[in-house]
Formats: sequence, structure tokens, C-alpha cells
Amino acid sequence: MRYRFLHIFLLCCFGLYVHGQTFTISGYVEDQSSGESLIGVNVFNQNNTIEGATTNVYGFYSLTLPSGKYTIKTSYLGYQDIINNLTLDKDIELNLRMSSGVTMEEVVVIGEEKDQNVNSTEMGTVALPIERIKKLPALLGEVDILKTIQLLPGVLSAGEGTAGFYVRGGGPDQNLVLLDEAVVYNSGHLLGFFSVFNADAIKNTTLIKGGIPANYGGRLSSVVDVQMKDGNNKKFGVTGGIGLIASRLTVEGPLKKEESSFIVSGRRTYAFELAKPFIDRTDFRGTNYFFYDFNAKINYKLSNKDRIFVSTYFGRDVLNYQSNVRDISFKLPYGNTTATVRWNHLFSEKLFMNASLVYNDYDFSFEGGQGDFSVGLFSGVRDYNAKLDFEYYPNARNAIKFGANYTYHRLTPSVTSATNGDIEFSNDLKPKFAHESAIYILNDYKVSNKFTLNYGLRFSAFTQVGPYTSPLNGEEFGSLEPVKTYTGLEPRLFGKYTLNASSSLKGGVTFTNQYIHLVSNSNSTLPIDVWVPSSDRVAPQRGIQYALGYFKNLKDNAYETSVEVYYKDLNNQIDYGESFINDPAVEVEQEFVFGRGRAYGAEFFVKKNTGRLNGWVGYTWSKTDRIFPDINDGAVFPATFDRRHDLSVVANFEITDKWEFGGAFVYGTGNTFTPVKSLFFVEQSVNVEFGDRNSARLEAYHRLDLALTYNPKVNTDKAWKNSFTFSIYNIYNRRNTFFTYNTFETDFDAGTTQATALKVSLFPIIPSVTWNFKWNQK
Amino acid sequence: MRSIITLKYIILLFTVSLFFSCETEFIPETNNEPPEIVVEGYIEGGDSPTSPYVILTRSIPFFNEINLNEVSDFFVRDAEVTVSNSTGSVRLQEFCLSELTFEQRLIVSDLFGVSADSSSLDFCVYIDPTFSMEGEEGERYDLLIEVEGKVLTASTLIPERARISDLEFMDVPGIPVDTLRELRITLEDAPNEANFYRYFTNRNDEGLLASFNSVLNDLFFDGDTFEFPLPKAEESGVEFDFETFGFYRVGDTMEIKFCSIDEAHYDFWSTLEFNRANQGPFSSSTVIDYNIEGGIGIWGGYSSSIRRIVVE
Repeated sequence: MRYRFLHIFLLCCFGLYVHGQTFTISGYVEDQSSGESLIGVNVFNQNNTIEGATTNVYGFYSLTLPSGKYTIKTSYLGYQDIINNLTLDKDIELNLRMSSGVTMEEVVVIGEEKDQNVNSTEMGTVALPIERIKKLPALLGEVDILKTIQLLPGVLSAGEGTAGFYVRGGGPDQNLVLLDEAVVYNSGHLLGFFSVFNADAIKNTTLIKGGIPANYGGRLSSVVDVQMKDGNNKKFGVTGGIGLIASRLTVEGPLKKEESSFIVSGRRTYAFELAKPFIDRTDFRGTNYFFYDFNAKINYKLSNKDRIFVSTYFGRDVLNYQSNVRDISFKLPYGNTTATVRWNHLFSEKLFMNASLVYNDYDFSFEGGQGDFSVGLFSGVRDYNAKLDFEYYPNARNAIKFGANYTYHRLTPSVTSATNGDIEFSNDLKPKFAHESAIYILNDYKVSNKFTLNYGLRFSAFTQVGPYTSPLNGEEFGSLEPVKTYTGLEPRLFGKYTLNASSSLKGGVTFTNQYIHLVSNSNSTLPIDVWVPSSDRVAPQRGIQYALGYFKNLKDNAYETSVEVYYKDLNNQIDYGESFINDPAVEVEQEFVFGRGRAYGAEFFVKKNTGRLNGWVGYTWSKTDRIFPDINDGAVFPATFDRRHDLSVVANFEITDKWEFGGAFVYGTGNTFTPVKSLFFVEQSVNVEFGDRNSARLEAYHRLDLALTYNPKVNTDKAWKNSFTFSIYNIYNRRNTFFTYNTFETDFDAGTTQATALKVSLFPIIPSVTWNFKWNQK
Repeated sequence: MRSIITLKYIILLFTVSLFFSCETEFIPETNNEPPEIVVEGYIEGGDSPTSPYVILTRSIPFFNEINLNEVSDFFVRDAEVTVSNSTGSVRLQEFCLSELTFEQRLIVSDLFGVSADSSSLDFCVYIDPTFSMEGEEGERYDLLIEVEGKVLTASTLIPERARISDLEFMDVPGIPVDTLRELRITLEDAPNEANFYRYFTNRNDEGLLASFNSVLNDLFFDGDTFEFPLPKAEESGVEFDFETFGFYRVGDTMEIKFCSIDEAHYDFWSTLEFNRANQGPFSSSTVIDYNIEGGIGIWGGYSSSIRRIVVE
């Protein structure tokens, strides 16, 4: 009886049944030379391409077909196709090794599959293989995946040079940034000018700005899913680079050939170490700033059915300031730590499981003072996370994913203490605790040759638990005692309709909930900004996004084009009250005000994949508004990151075998700011009264960056290779305004005031050179 | 708490100096909003009770060169200004420097810290010429202003005065300097109530000045007796120098005026000082919390504790 119900359920919901006897071809796809698993490879029946599968993030695929003879093609752009002629009369395990030895004359962008954008149900999703990112010009030569993401339509840079970004009108806290499944709560070094991702340790980056599938949750606006490299399981290799401000070194190799590998990667800046002899001669002896990242990962094949991955990231920014004459000093370390343990298990050739245990921690601390007066400040987030994800491939038409996710959050607000000799004060703020859990199911269902549906449902729940004392009524809650629970149903529905072989229409609707929040009182988020949980005072942010897109590939996939439009409703948005003064004695939640947001826009994207010249042009027209009863007297105002026009042009050109050129041009409508309404005098000094929130704009932002890469020993079989990248940031030295401020000089007795408005620009033209090297065991 | 508030700016300065920032002047757009009436009025109780006074001015648009003498009607004239408390009310009377004799001018100049020079700005103030009302601790004072068809109202409380148990000069932190001292104040905070404070320093009777961070609340130290450094207020426009900033010069005679204020009065100064200090990329364009209905500005009650001390 129970089985009959299950059969009816599967029949109705997933269209699972195909007549006749079926068998499954399954296995892993990896790179021939390094053994790195390949993500997103297409494995399909050449005679009926609807019968296909795509490898998951572990390189696994499963394709179930009726018995018969097949020509199975494995295709991944930048790699040579593999053709297997098979007689399918039993389940077949077919592990594939793809060779990247491109013999074609044309330059091929590595790591994307043909017609992927037209054929998948994914909307607003872009995969960026690291090889592509490395060819683009970079600020001070530091390759940065988050800055490359900003070059895509729908993604806005948070400001000059920063790795912070806004996606389709969502706030900076609404992006889920994952590193091997661990949430990275602060993805920037040095106020966000550099991201925490060391390009040498990264394999793949996927940005989802539109249809977020049901297996992701917890943030309203986007997912940036970053996978670390697994490490070469065939031979040892060393890669590295020396740049103007930082150096990198990565070592990888087999622990047990073809079964187990490791990768260890580090990066550190050293500008201040170089300046140390000079600093030591000044009053600021002891002042130092540096950041570093450390990534490590090992994987082990226990059996054909079981694999283990252990990965970790540790990064810190350390700023020490010392002014010896007046004994003023402070130390400001902050950073992220993540650790992920994953176990892949194949229950059958159709059922893949990944179980993960994830730990992540972000902490910020400040300790400083003068003489025997000192102030300490500490804030952070710590999560313990357990996940279970299943992928079930019943037949060639359905790919079902389901799973569960549980996180225990510990969110520490800005705990501030001050000491003065023997006396100590503290704001006595206590960490807050919460359970966050979710279950989900989704199916990617090929209804017909023309129509594919991806539908899913996520149910999420969030409970703030004690110990906690309510500021509303003083009620006390014991350890793990529930304080407040919120739940949310998050349906996700996307469809694709194929118009012809090279074009399709896609549409979708995404419901998302966000239970932990970060609010910044300024244009940019800072390491000092704190994450706060939903509580009896703060309700979850809830969002709905509607999106529609037209995708067309031209000239046999040489050009990909798309137009996407979106409309987004954001509820329970959070901001600080207009008179917020950041009093460390008051919990930030007490200063929050709540409102709504809406965003809409159109994104145009043309990408050229092949040829000596390749790259893309992305243009976004968008509008993002906020409505808060307690801000601007309840009138609609543009969000800080409202930007009408945003254009990115990115190009790579292979001049010769040895020389390659890269360029990026960006143009954006100027950022909003709140203008001065009037000046007034009290105590004989000038004061500023501000006008309507974000009612003025800076001038437009634009910038051109160029890079030239020289590979002296291209196409050689030598173990040792190196290259030089010469990069120029802001080549025409545009003075883009980073911020404005005013100064006043008043002589009240004479009745005169000199008021000066100043704009500050940050980066002029900055040339840099990076030397990269690579050694591979022969 | 100053250290925390300024933390962001230290980080910013550090970052900006690390790179290659560049400043250029620009002319901001001006919008022709009608001027608002700005109230600045105080009444003081405690160690030196005074009569209420009110200065009425207008807000002005942002211009590069501002000459208040040329701003038409900068001072709001002919207002009816009344201050009342539980026992009665007084009507304040308008005085402008240009209408006074030289002797009277010297008195006004002394009281309000303005120049008595006839070529300077024609300063106007509303005062109680009878000096019949003086601030008293525990008393609430209501302000009513009627001018140009508008009615502006405000209310302030003069709290109990602050209890200072000690003032002590110590060596400055870091490398000792013979000529500079740090001032430590010991305050006995009243328990189980929210207390708010503002302080001023006056060097050699040059005039009272408020520090750029002149207010504090007792959220950190409710009911405690505690000692903390009290930086000397600097004149606005004085170049910031870490080596001497906030320290007292040996031999000077200092007047330290430490006042209790009510919450709305505190909110005004704390938001105003945050607004002043928070410019640039981390600016939240702080809206100042005025306690005036119908206009902007402050009607503030002070309860002062005043000490005179020679820096040794």
C-alpha cells in the first residue's frame, strides 16, 4: 500500500516512468592530466540529445536509458570530445578522463559546455572557471574572483576597487558566499579591496543571481559557490607567483597515486615588511599591516562508491598601529576560518549522496588605547553545520535532488569593554544563539524535447534560543530554550522552452528567506559590521524574484547572447534609523528600522567564446528603491546601490602564442549620496543638515584596465613554466569619486565661513607586474 | 568610547594613506529650500544658575563663501519668546549688539563669547533683562516662540548636578613631557537612572569650549564611581596634533564645567557630533535629533558642577 502511494506520488510529481527495461551508465569525469574532477560536463546520447546528464560538483554523472545500442558523447568546451559506443544491456560504470590538449587552431575558453546557456533550466547563472578569471587585468596584479563577478550584468560593485557586490537590487548581506560549502561571512581583505579567495587554490566559481535552486537557501539575492581544487592525484606540482603586494605558493600532488591527493596553498602580503626599516625609524615603530590566506584540501577514494574530502581555509587581516610618543596603539585582527568534511557515497548508480560537516567562524577584534586606558571590542559569527544532500537520477529525463541542512549559529554582537587602570566597564552584550534548518526537494524534469521544468520546494525554519534576555519585556530564557521561531516555505519554479536548436526562453519565480542579517550604516560594509539573528525584534527578510530570459547562441556557439528581465520584491528590509550614532553600549538591533524594497531591471549579455579574440559585453539597466516608514518621512528613496546603467566590456586577445592581451572597461551611473540641505550655526560653529536620503548622485564611474601576459615557454614539454603579467589599472587615470566630504572654516565674530566640498578619489593609474610560475613533475 | 567611534576613521585614514588618494574641490548642487528657524537656547542650574537666553537664526544654503552679514535676516528678529516653569513664566527681550552702548556690548560680549567690536557681526540674543528666572535642579522649563506666523515649542529638564569626587592631573601617556598633563576626572554616577553629561573646559578664562566629543551617557557605568581621562576642548579649526591633543599645559588655570543634561539634550549633541565626525564613505548622513517642535536647534537645560584648578 505504501509503495503504491509512493509510485503514484512519483508518477504524478516527477513523471518518472519510462517503459521497458532500463540500465544506467554512471561514473566520474576527470581531467586526464591532473585527475581534478570536472564540473558540468555533458554526457549524452548523440542521437537524441535530450537523453543526457551533467556532472555534479564532484564530477559524478548518472544516465539511465532503455536497453539498446548507444553512441554516448562526452563534451566539455576546451576538452576533446569522447565518443563511446556501448551496448546497454546491464548497468555500466564509465569513468571518463578528458584531455585538455586542444589541437584546434582556435583559442577555446576552457571549462564551459556548448549551448549550456540555452539548454539548461538555469537562469541568471554564470560559471567562471579560474583560468578565464586569471587572464583579466587585476588591481595591483591580485587576481580576484569577486571582482570578476562584478563584471557580469546584474552584479554591481560596492565601490571603487572593492570586492563587495550587490546583486539585482539586493543588499550586501544578501549574497550567500560559499567556499567548499562553508559560508564565508566576510569575503574581503583590507576593507574589501581584495577578496579572501586565493585564485591558485580555486577550481570553479558559480554565481547564481536569478533562479536559485531549492538546494540553496538562507540569503535573498544570490549565491556565489566557490570550489577549491582537489589537488593533482597523478603528479606533484608547484604553482606560485610574486606580485607587487603579495606572493602565492601552492603545492599539490598525490598522496596515493590516482586515489588520493592534497593541495596546500598560501598567500601573504608584505608591503609593510618592505617598509619596516623606514617605519622603524619613525614614531610609528611597530605599525604593521598584512593579510594572508591559507587553503588546504585532501581527498581520498575509499572505494568506487566512497570518497572523502577534507578542506579548510584560514585567513587573517592584521593591522597593528603604534604611535610611541603618546603611547597610542591598537591591534585589529580579523578573519575567517572554515573547515569542511565531506563524504560522497553511491548507494546505487542512480543515487548519489553527499554528507557534509561544516564549521565556519568569522571574528573581528579590536584592542587599543592610550596609556592605561584601553578599549576592547569583539564580534563574530560561528556556525556548526551538518548537511545531507541526495541526487537521484531515475531516468534520462529527471534529476532529483533532495536533502536536509542544519546549522547552529552563535552570533556575537559588538562586545565592548573598556579598562582604565584597574577599573573595567563592559556593555555586557551576550552572544545570541539560533538553530537554522531546512529540507528541500527539487527536480529538473525534461518534459519534452522542447520543454524543461525545474521545480523545487524548500522549507526553512529558524529558532533563536537562549540563553537570552528579551529587551522587550525582560523575559529570561535558559540555555537552548526557544525564544522565537520563524518558518518559511520557499517554492522555486523555473522553466525552459526551446524555440530552436540555438535559442530558448526561460522564466522563473524564486521565493527566498533570510534569517540572519548584516546592516551597514554606510556605503560599504566593514569588518566591524555585525551579523544579527532574527529575533523577537527582527523579522526574517523575505524576497520574491520573477525573471524572464531569452537566450540565443549564434554562429555555432561562437556567440552566446541573452536578455533577462527581473522584478524583485524584498520584505522586512533593515536599515539604521536616521539618527543612528553607533553607540557601543546599545545593541544594533535596537537601532534598526524596517521597510520594504523593490528592484527591477533588464540585463543584456553578449559573450564570444571562441577565436583569438573572446570576451563579453554586459549591460544592465536597473532601478532599486527602498520604502521605510522611519526614513525620509516614509517616501520612496533610491537604495544606496541604485544604479541606472552599468556596462562592462571584457576582452581577451591572443596576439601571438606568447603574448596575450586582456582588457576590461566598466561604466556605471554615479552612486547615490545624501546631499547637504542647509547649514546652521550652534555654539558659533557650522553644522550640516542633510536633505532627502540618497537624493543626489556622484558623477558616472568609468575605468579601463589592461593586462598583457607573456608566456616565454609556451607549448613546451618542460616541467617548468613561467609567465609575466603586466597590468595597468585605470589606464586613463580617471579620478572616480570614492567619497565626498565638507570642511568649514568659520570666523563667527566676523560673520564669515569658508565652506569647501571635496571629493576624494582613490586609485589613479596603477601599473603592476606579477610573475607566475608553475612546475609539474614529469 | 571615543576610540570606538573613531575606529572606522582610523581604519579609513590608514587605508587611504596606504593607497594614492587624491582630493579635488567641487561645487555641490544647491537646492532652494526655504530657510528654517534655528533655535539655540539654554538655561542653567547647579553651581552657577543663570537666566534663560535664546538665539534665533536661520539655516542657510551651502555656499563656498558665506558672509552672515550679507545673509538677509540671518538673525530672526521681533520674536515673542517665553520661558515658563512650574512657578511662572518670563518673556525674553531681544538685544542686538548694534543697539547697545559700548559698556553694554562688553557685558554681552563677555556673556556670549562674541566680539564687542562694532565692525563684527551684529549678534542678537533674547534674554530676560530682569534676571528673575534662574535654572533650578529638578525643574522643567518650557519654551514658546511665536514669530512670522510660526509657533515653535520645546521643553527641557535641568537634572540633579553631577557629583565630581576628584580631578587630578597626571603625566601624559607615552614619553613624559614636562609641560603637558592629562586630566583624570572621578565621577559618582547616580544609580538606577539614565544619566547624561556634557562638559566644557575654559583655559585661562579665554572662554568655555566643548570638546568635539563632549557628551556621554552612563550605559557603561550606571551607578559606579569611576575615573576617566577628560580631554581638553580645542578651539575649532586648530590643527589636530596627536602629541598634544586633549592635554593640559602646566601653569594654566582651567575651569572645568561638567553638566548633567536630560536625554533629549544629550541626543541633540550626540547626533550633532556624530554628524560632524562621520563624513566620507562611512557617512550615514546622520539626521540630528532636535528637541524643537516647528523648527530646528536645541533648547537645553544644564546642571553644572564647576571646578577651577591650576595645571601642575
